[in-house]
Amino acid sequence: MSRPGERRARLTPYVFIGPAALLFAAFSLVPIIIAITLSFQDTQTLGEGEWVGVDNFAKLGSDRLFRTALINTLVFTIGTVPTAMAAGLALAVALNRPLPGRGVLRAMFFVPMVAAGVVVGVIMSWIFNVDYGVANNALAVLGIDRIPWLTSPNMAMFTLIIVVVWTRIGFCMVIYLGALQSIPSELKEAASIDGADRWARFRSITVPMLTPTTSILLILNVVFSLQAFDVIYVMTGGGPGFSTTVLIQYVFRSAFQDGQMGYAAALGLVLVGILLVFTLLRQQASKRAESFL
Amino acid sequence: MRPPDPSRRQILAVAGISMAGALAACSGADTGTTHLRLSSWNIPTDLDSYQAIADRFVEDHPGTSVAVEVTTGSFHQWFITRLAADLAPDIIRITPQQIGRYAANGSLVDLTQAIPADYQEDWSEPFWAIGQRENGIFGVFQHTDNFITFYNRSVMEQIGVHPPTTLEDAWTWDQFLEIAAEVKKVTGNYAFSYGWSGPDTAYRWMPLIYQNGGAFLGEDGLTPSMDTDAAIEALAFGRSWYADGLVSPSNMSKSGGGHVDFDLFTTGQVGMALTNPEAIAAFDEAMSGEWGTAPMIRNVGEGSDLGGNALAVTRSSREPELAAELVAYMTSRDNIQEFCHNGNWIPSRTSLDAGDIGYADHEDVMQQFIDQGTTIPLSMVKAQSGEYFSSLNAVFADYLDLCLIGQLSPQQASAQMMEAMLSVTTR
Repeated sequence: MSRPGERRARLTPYVFIGPAALLFAAFSLVPIIIAITLSFQDTQTLGEGEWVGVDNFAKLGSDRLFRTALINTLVFTIGTVPTAMAAGLALAVALNRPLPGRGVLRAMFFVPMVAAGVVVGVIMSWIFNVDYGVANNALAVLGIDRIPWLTSPNMAMFTLIIVVVWTRIGFCMVIYLGALQSIPSELKEAASIDGADRWARFRSITVPMLTPTTSILLILNVVFSLQAFDVIYVMTGGGPGFSTTVLIQYVFRSAFQDGQMGYAAALGLVLVGILLVFTLLRQQASKRAESFL
Repeated sequence: MRPPDPSRRQILAVAGISMAGALAACSGADTGTTHLRLSSWNIPTDLDSYQAIADRFVEDHPGTSVAVEVTTGSFHQWFITRLAADLAPDIIRITPQQIGRYAANGSLVDLTQAIPADYQEDWSEPFWAIGQRENGIFGVFQHTDNFITFYNRSVMEQIGVHPPTTLEDAWTWDQFLEIAAEVKKVTGNYAFSYGWSGPDTAYRWMPLIYQNGGAFLGEDGLTPSMDTDAAIEALAFGRSWYADGLVSPSNMSKSGGGHVDFDLFTTGQVGMALTNPEAIAAFDEAMSGEWGTAPMIRNVGEGSDLGGNALAVTRSSREPELAAELVAYMTSRDNIQEFCHNGNWIPSRTSLDAGDIGYADHEDVMQQFIDQGTTIPLSMVKAQSGEYFSSLNAVFADYLDLCLIGQLSPQQASAQMMEAMLSVTTR
């Protein structure tokens, strides 16, 4: 029989993790279980659902809008994630050295990240308005014709990617800055003594040392891109046509405009599935990369 | 003398008693007062008006209180989650396009017992139909708005056109296109703008179908009918706006940036705007005295946008009878008059005209909106306040957009819209 002191010591960790575990269960675990259950039901706006097995998932196969939204989501993610990360890294490297007004510059680049998505969306809609937007007026000064930033199905996704990358760069920059400052300067000094130039030092020391940070940033950015809703909803409403309709928007539409909660839950689980597969693949890749360090 | 330190058990006991007290206070135990909650869009003048009217109701009903609160974010998301938690307000301000789903699925309460028998006589048939169902009255239409034609006086003078002032003389589609071509020459950009304000407002284009003798849904309010010649011609008419450069491609239901229609008008890029009374304040601010109004365009038939709101009682209400009584009180002639006067709204009651309301400004324009309200077709009202309209409106937004930008021909848009509409109505 254990003594009271030992029992208390054994219980202490659970007391500490208890509140967090409770919150996680209430706001994450239980909703996930409910969403999984819902995805196997035909549930209208309110009331009891009818059990339909995998019908909701089977319906995805013949849903043209789902396919379009899935492709748009992939294009949007591929367009935003590497660009934001590369630009963030470039800025971090640039601002990781003594510069006049460095603090102000860092803050300026970070501001878009904390601005509300709806506000960003409204302002950017004005800036990129084909008729009276600042962007086209600036181009007109240079003698360049109006660009249909948001009104052409071929341009709208590109414009959204520009806007979202702009909001994301500051975040990537701050995370990379922290990581850059933790790289021991001795490594670079030693490489310099061995004759490595700036590019070689960056490629062979900085980039590999940033691998864990890059890994985390990659996953976070993919999550952000899969969840991007407000800016797209405000700027294009998924249009012109379906050219900027993404999966999360389709989930929202199915749930609250169509009232098809079961189908929306199935769509949501597809998003979760994509994210899970991506995260697992990324973790495997990171482990392999780190094993070479 | 220093007071003794409380022991751990004493602290726990005090905490436990406090917690029990707090929980008891939150339990909703009977305090002798009956509370009602009314939720409205976040329009400060309207919130004040609702509270003032509710305060008078409370004076006549001792032991009651009414709190006016704000409907936040996306309406359906907000309302569905609160209904699911049984925490929706007692009374909700709701648009005709939103009411159908909730009236059909039991989320709203039948008001028949509380509504005076003579009320219906003072509403036009279309306006009364917004809340009326076979099994009861699920909302009372409180105020409305619609679309008329705003024009730039200087542009009209330059092209030598005297815009019509009465509904009978409203421009037909052909006349309008002819004038629009001249307006475009004067502005050097586009001819006119249309009053969408986001994908949820795609339905504002629907009156064009009815103006051409078509319909979005059949007489039963359920069967899709976008495959008729009249509907396809209406789509072709809309497509010509963009193909001929009369309307900016940035002015569609899915385009963002707030009121693009107002901005295009006030920046002189268009000479006409088909839009609602919200434009008055914006145009006055930017170009006071430089604009005028004409009726909404027409073709073989008439039609204008169905704007406005109804008041309804939700199933979450613990006091549905009292809440229904408050809805009846809010929609009395005097209270609608007061509400429309304060908020510059158009009354839903037919016995109220602009003179009765006593608008602070532009009484003639407001009367024009009141008159235009009579052209809103009953079949369009039934379609828009039907059970599936929220889903159908999303479908309409998609295929109208594809047609207007030229990705689908009017025939293709019609066929694909029909297919998508049928997948909704046959669920």
